[in-house]
Amino acid sequence: MNKRYTSLKNTGWMLKEAWQLQRILFFVIPISAFTGVILNCVQLYIAPRIIRCAETGAPLEKLIETILIYGGLLFVMLFLQKYIAENEGFPRMYFRESMISKFAEKTNETSYINTLKPDFLQMREKVASLLSSNQQPCQHFWTTLTQLFMNLIGFAVYLLILSSLDYRMILLSSFTCVIGFLANLFTDAWEFKRRREEEKIDNRFGYIRRNSEAIAAAKDIRIFSLQKWLLNIHESLLKTYDSFLYKKGKERCLGGLVETVCVVLRNSIAYWYLIHLTLQNQLSTAQFILYFQAFTALTAWISGILEQFSILHREAQELTALREYLDYEEPYLFEDGADPGHGLQCGFVFDHVSFRYPGSDKDIIHDFSLTIQPGENLAVVGLNGAGKTTLIKLMCGLLDPDEGTVFMNGTDIRSLNRRKYYELFSAVFQDFSILDVTIAETISQKADQYDLERVRQCAALAGVSHDIEQIPGQYDAHIGREVYQDGVILSGGQMQKLMLARALYKNGSVLLLDEPTAALDPLAESSIYQSYHEMSAGKTSVFISHRLASTRFCDRILFLKDGKILEEGTHEELMRRKGAYADLFDVQSRYYQEGKEY
Amino acid sequence: MNRKELYKRAFQDVHRACPGLFLSVASSALLEGIAPYVTVWFSSLILIELSGMRRPDVLEKRIIMAVAILGILSLMRIVFKQWKEYHQNDYFPRRDRIFIEKMFSLDYEDMEKQSIHDLRLQIAQSEMYQGFGYLKLIEIFEKAIQNTLGILCALFLSVQLFSARVPSENTAWQFLNNPVFPIIMIILMVSLAVFSGKLTAKTTEEYMSLLTEEVSEANRAFGHFGFAGLDTKKSVDIRLYHQQDLIKHYWKNSLGVFGPSGMPKYYRGKGGMLLGLSVALNGIFSALLYLFTCLKAIAGAFGIGEIMRYVGAVTAMNTNVSGLIEVYGMIAANEIHLQRIYELLDTPNHMYQGSLTTEKRSDRQYDIEFKNVTFRYPNTDRNVLDHVNLRFKIGTRLAIVGENGSGKSTLIKLLCRLYDPQEGEILLNGINIRKYNYKDYIQLMSVVFQDYQLLSQPLANNIAGNSEYDEERVVHVLKEVGFEERLKSLQSGLETWLNKDFGEEGVILSGGEAQKVAIARALYKDAPFIILDEPTASLDPIAEAEIYSRLNEIVADRTAVFISHRLSSCRFCDEIIVLDKGHLVQQGTHEQLFKTDGKYRELWNAQAQYYRT
Repeated sequence: MNKRYTSLKNTGWMLKEAWQLQRILFFVIPISAFTGVILNCVQLYIAPRIIRCAETGAPLEKLIETILIYGGLLFVMLFLQKYIAENEGFPRMYFRESMISKFAEKTNETSYINTLKPDFLQMREKVASLLSSNQQPCQHFWTTLTQLFMNLIGFAVYLLILSSLDYRMILLSSFTCVIGFLANLFTDAWEFKRRREEEKIDNRFGYIRRNSEAIAAAKDIRIFSLQKWLLNIHESLLKTYDSFLYKKGKERCLGGLVETVCVVLRNSIAYWYLIHLTLQNQLSTAQFILYFQAFTALTAWISGILEQFSILHREAQELTALREYLDYEEPYLFEDGADPGHGLQCGFVFDHVSFRYPGSDKDIIHDFSLTIQPGENLAVVGLNGAGKTTLIKLMCGLLDPDEGTVFMNGTDIRSLNRRKYYELFSAVFQDFSILDVTIAETISQKADQYDLERVRQCAALAGVSHDIEQIPGQYDAHIGREVYQDGVILSGGQMQKLMLARALYKNGSVLLLDEPTAALDPLAESSIYQSYHEMSAGKTSVFISHRLASTRFCDRILFLKDGKILEEGTHEELMRRKGAYADLFDVQSRYYQEGKEY
Repeated sequence: MNRKELYKRAFQDVHRACPGLFLSVASSALLEGIAPYVTVWFSSLILIELSGMRRPDVLEKRIIMAVAILGILSLMRIVFKQWKEYHQNDYFPRRDRIFIEKMFSLDYEDMEKQSIHDLRLQIAQSEMYQGFGYLKLIEIFEKAIQNTLGILCALFLSVQLFSARVPSENTAWQFLNNPVFPIIMIILMVSLAVFSGKLTAKTTEEYMSLLTEEVSEANRAFGHFGFAGLDTKKSVDIRLYHQQDLIKHYWKNSLGVFGPSGMPKYYRGKGGMLLGLSVALNGIFSALLYLFTCLKAIAGAFGIGEIMRYVGAVTAMNTNVSGLIEVYGMIAANEIHLQRIYELLDTPNHMYQGSLTTEKRSDRQYDIEFKNVTFRYPNTDRNVLDHVNLRFKIGTRLAIVGENGSGKSTLIKLLCRLYDPQEGEILLNGINIRKYNYKDYIQLMSVVFQDYQLLSQPLANNIAGNSEYDEERVVHVLKEVGFEERLKSLQSGLETWLNKDFGEEGVILSGGEAQKVAIARALYKDAPFIILDEPTASLDPIAEAEIYSRLNEIVADRTAVFISHRLSSCRFCDEIIVLDKGHLVQQGTHEQLFKTDGKYRELWNAQAQYYRT
């Protein structure tokens, strides 16, 4: 266990965060706890006090007065408790919300390389689940703390009420509480150990369910009659789950048995002792009721303290992941880096660069050197896995080389403010991030203050304006249906064109396009090629493509193989050389040559 | 369906899906209904003796009995509760199954309807956030039993509170014998329960039910924008376009009704007050109850020791009465949710109406013809296919080309009966395909869709699409598509799990490899028709060429249909049809079409111009 994050320190950290984010928690928690204890006391005293009046033959006015006082108290406290219960959840929820903001900021701003590290990803999953609902530690921690606090106060108050009793009685009953608590601890530990097992079954159930509902899988399921297979899997999962539940139930029954024995023991002791006391000291019935109820309540407080404390301990420990995640080291410079400037002509130098992905055992790019002149239009071709995408990721500073250096206009990228540096690039990668925001916001990447005229121009240049105009709501339509039920679903081709429009709107100094036409039909593809010159005017650009046709527009073509430059030159030069590039071009163009037989 | 029929049907359906559930819930409810009264009864026995004669031997006996009976009772409660929880946990996957089976059997047309998905989502969300639907039915069942039984016990225990008469010598207190008191008590109890029920309902109505859509939209936005970064595919763009700004903007607004000026404000004010009041009124009821009981005891109707019994019993009864009234409200509120469930489950099936069986022919002489086929998607008025006539020649390769949106994929969907055309007909050996048994007809078609899906299950099962598979045939088809080498490199061979969803030992296939597996699956099905929709979109030129070079062998004597943006693939085909805005505009071989001035040549040239040396 990491000594930096003990559950005590994590608790302190949570309190400190709450002081910053939701100071009202420091008010709500004690209020809620005290209200709980006071209500409890009223309920404790109401019966004995009223019965005493009846028992002692007190005057009627006295009885009515007592009933009125306690009835009134009960009314007020019940009201307060319910009122607080309805309201105390909000600050807790807002606390979680602030934490999710911090989480999102870290997730979305962290050095890109971190998102490729298995330990970081694992932590990220864990943290996401800590934040996922109000029952998860990040929010539930405050409920636990309130409960613990209430039990502690209750214990202290009731100890005072029962101070006239034999302390050995209290010790004895505390002892039975501890035993019962330990039994529960064992059951909890059993369940905790098997939580992974349960999650695994749950995941698989969820997988079948999602596939039954997903449009993506619906065609395949129907054509290949996969229903029977999937239902079989579900059936066998049910069997596994049933036997898991059975074991769980058995374990809980066992824990319950021990607890019951403790309760029986405790009740016997309490009755025996209190009856003894009553008979000996001539206590009234009312006093007996008071003591018996107080005694039972005291043991409940003790059990509560033990239980809430162990929950707090566990939750605080689980929060370690959150702290580790937020503290995760950032290898890149952000605010502390130098400003790269903007609106520049950018040239790049790769100086003996090597890079391998975390967890991989070989370099994807090895001892790679390259100079890209400012304003040059470069094409990169090669087979899948040749390192094309990695190359442009190194160039735009998403990745840093393990060895060697990448320079932009003579400056080591690593020394620059990375966030500012990213602003220089207009890029379309193969994996893209579309949020459920409007089309105009997607193109401009701005929530407001976007220039609608420019949005339209960029959409037109990317060849997507016609598609957008067909959509109800046009530029204000939301994309996707994850959030807004009236959102539009775009086809792969439309999406690709939209991404191109977004890159154009950004108007960065460098244009990076990674297979931007894979999903387009021949006419759309051709029109993108036609406007490539316009798009890349005045910019340095890199175009990655499988379609060698596209490379003709570029000043220079790099043919990559296994992370090295195999050939480079213009299309004509490379064709004349009759090397690997010419071969590949032949493979693709063969079928387009008239009169040639295949 | 009226309410009674609806509940009867729901009860039967849940009972069928989860046998044992209702029995365990009923048993547990019986016990929970009785339990509080048993405690009241036995402790009152002790109190009566204490406030009376205080005989040590009687006290001892009663204490032993109380402790023993309560111990046994709590043991039973634990066992029954676990039994019930077992079934309650089991309910979730079993209830899933009801919906999974329905979704599997829905017509594809319905699967593409947003309304179906909205309905499914609504059903799921109202159960998740408010417990409505089948889940509420179980709760209603449980609470109805528990509270009814509780009320019976309470009546039994408290009947003496009202029936015990104030002795006649105590003239001043005779009015306590008036039968109006029990009636007042019951009226108070019921109206209190109704009133607080109304208050609660009012607040939930004001802030939950009416705003269900806003609440779930806020929940969806919360999840989407708060956790967008979890999607690894998004991490590049998020950085390069600094999407954190956009995310933050939407995130801030995502709270919606949960925001400080929404629900919290309401609960801080009116909502919290009303709810507080609805509970607090019970305090007043308690006071009245104490007053009446104590007066009667003082007047001599019963002993002081019995006060606690009656107060305990009536207080518990009060809880039971409001519980029962709550149940009544739940039955009404849940009705619409059950109706929604049956709206989904009763979605009619149009595809399964045919009954003819298709002939099993070893010579694969299946002749398919499109006659004047016109099709538009539901709720649109644009013909995606417009009077298309087409005959698939047996054993030939057909290419379909056209721009995005020209109707290529739709044509395939009609051929596979994922949709039925509005006009015209599709004939198999001269008979409309609607007349065939759907499952039989589907057996004739093997398709590799552009967005084919392989499941996160073992490789061989994926190819067979079944829990069992013919190992020899699986290996054979994998060999045919050129997956042999890769198969050798897989440690668990055919048993290798695809993807890492269910464990690190799973294998993530590259785009080209996955496509090969998808083609292998289509081959394993061994259908007379094989259809490939953009089979090489994500492949590099070498992998693409490899697939093409194999296709001829792979397809063998099947009738094959290709859709591709790479027009080069047309040259493999015996015939090409060109679609433009839903019309079949050209048909012929590459040589024929290339010579004519038309759409085909336009498309071809758009691509070929870059490949001329």
